[in-house]
Amino acid sequence: MRQFIFRRTCYSIVTLFILSLTIFAVVRLTGDPALLMTEPGARPEDLARVRALWGLDRPWPIQYAHFLLNILTGDLGTSFNYRMPVSELYFERLPNSLQLALSATLLSFLIGVPAGLLSAVRVNGAWDNIGKVVALTGLAVPGFWLGLVLILVFSVWLAWLPTGGKGDWRNLIMPSIALGWYFAASLLRLTRSSMLEVMRSEYIKLARLKGLPGYVVIAMHGFKNALVPVLTLAGVNLVVMVNAAVIVEVIFAWPGIGRLLYEGIFQRDFPLVQGVVILAGCMIVLVNLFIDILYAYIDPRIRLTK
Amino acid sequence: MKRDDRPESGLSTVSRRAVLAGAAATLLPLPAIGPRRAQAAAKGKMVLTWHTAMAPRWLDPQEHDGTATPDNFLTALHDALIKNSGTTLYDHPALAERYEFAKDAKSATFWLREGIKFHNGEPVTPEDVKFSYENYRGALSATFKSKTEAVEIVDRRTIRFRFKEPFLDFLLLYGSGNVTGAGWIVPAKYYQQVGPDRFKRKPIGAGPYKLASQEAGVQLEFEAFEDYYKPVQIKYLTMKSVPEAATRLAMLERGEADLIYNVPGELIPRVKGNPKLMLAPVLSGSFWLELVGFEDPKSPFHDKRVRQAISLAVDRAAINEAESAGLGRNSGNWINNDVQYGLQWPEFEHNLDKARKLMKEAGHPDGFEVDWLTPLPAYYARGERLVSQLQAIGIRARLQVMERGVFLARTRTGKEQWPGVQIIMHGARIGGSWSNWYESFFKCGAHNAADRVCVKALDAKFARYQASADQAERKQLAEEIQRTILENYYLVPVFRHAFMNAIGPRIAAEKWQDVFPTITSGYAYPWEDIKLKG
Repeated sequence: MRQFIFRRTCYSIVTLFILSLTIFAVVRLTGDPALLMTEPGARPEDLARVRALWGLDRPWPIQYAHFLLNILTGDLGTSFNYRMPVSELYFERLPNSLQLALSATLLSFLIGVPAGLLSAVRVNGAWDNIGKVVALTGLAVPGFWLGLVLILVFSVWLAWLPTGGKGDWRNLIMPSIALGWYFAASLLRLTRSSMLEVMRSEYIKLARLKGLPGYVVIAMHGFKNALVPVLTLAGVNLVVMVNAAVIVEVIFAWPGIGRLLYEGIFQRDFPLVQGVVILAGCMIVLVNLFIDILYAYIDPRIRLTK
Repeated sequence: MKRDDRPESGLSTVSRRAVLAGAAATLLPLPAIGPRRAQAAAKGKMVLTWHTAMAPRWLDPQEHDGTATPDNFLTALHDALIKNSGTTLYDHPALAERYEFAKDAKSATFWLREGIKFHNGEPVTPEDVKFSYENYRGALSATFKSKTEAVEIVDRRTIRFRFKEPFLDFLLLYGSGNVTGAGWIVPAKYYQQVGPDRFKRKPIGAGPYKLASQEAGVQLEFEAFEDYYKPVQIKYLTMKSVPEAATRLAMLERGEADLIYNVPGELIPRVKGNPKLMLAPVLSGSFWLELVGFEDPKSPFHDKRVRQAISLAVDRAAINEAESAGLGRNSGNWINNDVQYGLQWPEFEHNLDKARKLMKEAGHPDGFEVDWLTPLPAYYARGERLVSQLQAIGIRARLQVMERGVFLARTRTGKEQWPGVQIIMHGARIGGSWSNWYESFFKCGAHNAADRVCVKALDAKFARYQASADQAERKQLAEEIQRTILENYYLVPVFRHAFMNAIGPRIAAEKWQDVFPTITSGYAYPWEDIKLKG
């Protein structure tokens, strides 16, 4: 087991190193940020001043070495646009993103899992058909459109909910629906397929032959086992929602990390984009590492596989 | 220096009095307004929604990036000795009650108002003015440093700037807060104590509003500064970042916001259709066509008749209608007329018959191919309209779309990077002086034109303009140069677009100019004058 954890940890470090190299190169391929930090009519001396101020006049390898050394000391750099440490900005926005992501996850769970379960139990019946329509609609409707429709209906026409920004719990309702809707649909599909697979297995047949009531077979034997991949997906979804809910955060003026990343890309704010991507990468790598270790703990065959 | 540039007044009326007066020793006595407590007058709360992230760096004038964006924040938080305000381009008296500019343009002396304070209660002193100028490291700081001999504190209210050589544009640059930040005064002691980074988080200024709290990039909460030298009408001012335009408008409709910036074309009918809201089309940047390499005899643009035909084919009114709901201006000049010596020029004619005739005379009866027409991002729709309009005289152009940063980098390259037959649609809003536009976009080797545009005879005149210490001669040369460019269609002006904003029902305004009276800024200002109803 120790060897397995060591191996997986090494893989994670290599992944993060490759990620750092990729994000460093990719943001620089987008061009010179000094041009966006000044006006179209900016003078060459002002452009040179901006480049020198941010060390953009140094060769790429030196910039990368500084970037890497700073990461190792926990310094993700200073945002060009905000003139603030990236880590400070990130952790300032993190609670907002967590709040939105958790409520959207809860919503997606409350819709996706029961609906998926119902679809699987009543396969090809009316509930299943309704579930399919819900899943298809959820996956097909773009988040930005849904968000704008929600604003129009619930804020402008009915005046029930505030339009945007961060305030009390009412401000959280529409962004959570707009963000959670898509994930509810994907959870619904996964719960349904996972449940169908489990219900066809031998131990379910055995449980039925033993004369257990149908709800016990479904709840205690079927659903419990079908939930493992659903929880895994929900975990990954949560990380994605925390770091990349760009569209919903922009539409609802929600001050989260997705919006921070969007603004960084828009402004060619290299340190900000690099920092957010690295932190998001760390989060995803850690979650995956945790899941891998958990699987290996549950199933010894996994840790023996090279 | 004042100009009335408001759309309802038709073509601008230009007052040259201040400029002429500036040639002589300018002594500007002003009514002593003096500090007064504005606390009693200030009441209510106003919410503004801003269209991008609100960067804390915009709160520190010491690192001004030369763009117009920080205007919105600096005008609330800080104040300058002289500044742009209303129709005054740069010398509206603010923290200085008067100033004197030497005849030989080698010194400028300012007298501070009595009793002016920063938000922390400390008095604004000549030491603060000196520090703000000498410590300034933003746009054009190199120009100020190279031309300044010394900044002398004469007495507790008087400060003098001495220059190494005549510095005729000093007042213009110093007072144009959206060109440089050297004129905004920061508290020296506090700035040095906390350092630039912390200053951006907790800035202290001498403006009408003090910062109560800041959520970086998201929200700014201001409170009226009771010791400001003018009464401040609204007690609390909140600026919220709301990037999505439809959300901003929904907030205005619901009363969650009182003022919104940047209403895109598709939402304008919704504002116009709501009797409670008021549209504020503030004139902003100018757009024009550059016919790449027009001096090359092999270029079809070398023939003046072709250039004129292109101008005649452009339906400016249609573009204005489609792009700015008809609320922009079909200005005849590519340089905004709210800058010093910006020349008034009548609107260019739209006449397809005449254009076709000129094309025929120039040997292009069937027109010709243009490899690319490249518009300034993200004004692609304007580019498409131009492509379509040029087709009417046989000019068949293809639209080239670039990302903004790529476009800005490419416009710094020369003809080699723009091979074949190419047209570029530029757009800019540069404050201060007409010369900033010329230096950026027309001068041989200009940083936004490289070798694509180069008329040596005009550059020779421009050199004379720069060397001259005589304001009358400078004005004459400036106008001559602009006239030559326009008469020869070296650049083809398109239109001046409107920066669309909207005002909610709680604001006391009979017309939008009550909230946006300042012609040199697209933003609401002066903040202290904006009132709520009731």
